[in-house]
Amino acid sequence: MKGWLAKINWFGFAGGVLTILVIVVSLVYPWWQLSVGDDLMTINASPVNTNFGFLGTGFSIPFIWALNVIGLLSLLLSGVAMIIYSIMPAKSFAKPLLDFGYKKPLFTFLFFIIGLFVVTVFLQNVFSINLPLMGTATSTVPIPFASGTSLTLLLSAGFQWSFWLAAVAAGLCIVARLYHKKVAVVPHA
Amino acid sequence: MGKIRLLLTVITIVIVVVPLLGTLLAYQGNLLGMFVPPEMTEIVDDLVSGNGDNGGGLEPPKMVGEPQYDEASHTFAVTFEYKNSFPLNITVKSLTGNIACKEHGFPLGNASLSEPVSINAGDTGTLTVFGKWTDEAINHFQNEHANEENVEVVLLDFVVDISGLRLELDQSQIGQGIQVPNPVYEG
Repeated sequence: MKGWLAKINWFGFAGGVLTILVIVVSLVYPWWQLSVGDDLMTINASPVNTNFGFLGTGFSIPFIWALNVIGLLSLLLSGVAMIIYSIMPAKSFAKPLLDFGYKKPLFTFLFFIIGLFVVTVFLQNVFSINLPLMGTATSTVPIPFASGTSLTLLLSAGFQWSFWLAAVAAGLCIVARLYHKKVAVVPHA
Repeated sequence: MGKIRLLLTVITIVIVVVPLLGTLLAYQGNLLGMFVPPEMTEIVDDLVSGNGDNGGGLEPPKMVGEPQYDEASHTFAVTFEYKNSFPLNITVKSLTGNIACKEHGFPLGNASLSEPVSINAGDTGTLTVFGKWTDEAINHFQNEHANEENVEVVLLDFVVDISGLRLELDQSQIGQGIQVPNPVYEG
């Protein structure tokens, strides 16, 4: 039993469990949150669940919903693959499972940050809306067909604890890959 | 091992392609709907047109009763009713503006909301706006409008803060003037 436990890639196991935990948590707690005014408009974003609120009405954007399904399935399969790999790291199927699983949490994490960054740059350059990634900012937006009128918005944004949990999960999966050689060695008879 | 890698690669492709393809097929007749959901356009349409469940449209505040004037302090109070047509509770945090004589463009004083007012969704709230005539304004009323019971004024640099949304309007957006009692009129 002790020998079997020693063969487990604990970094991979923790990374896999944490990745699945990240999925569950992200369905409730967004990675990044933006509110306009006193919650007149809200954006709750994560790679597995993104929703918008506008004047008390919630909605989602179908294209982003599709990306969220991709994110959810990727993380779910990655987590399962990492757990199976971690328990049997010396098996023949272990290495392909590791290669399949360890990169997805990191890529999901990076795509999310890059996506947010691209959206903020796009809004800044096209609509002159100063969207903060973290902290608060005021932004004056033009009102079409109403010259002489301006609307100034108070925007508050920030990364939530679920974002950092995802960062830890991605980190553990990377460490699991680096640790693989130590646990995958088949002892010679 | 090669078969496992191939299977995992296929799975990776499937979980990326299927959701995107499914959404694309679902919205093939309305590709814009993939990015702008119908709920969003309905909300905006309802706000602008005044129809539907998402609000009765943006309505300007309605003045209630006659403005009250206190001669000793040169202050006046104007009461407005505002219907919250948004489907959520709002707070009118502040409201400020400068007042000028519509006929002469002469600056007369300023006005501001007495206190923040919270209005529940669909309810109507009462906003009391206090204003103060300057000494120069009193002279202007005496010199230019001494025989008029009411004087038409306009609001300039009007700023209203509703639940963190700050709307600034210039005179062209405020529309017509408001009749206020002439503080120096003696009948």
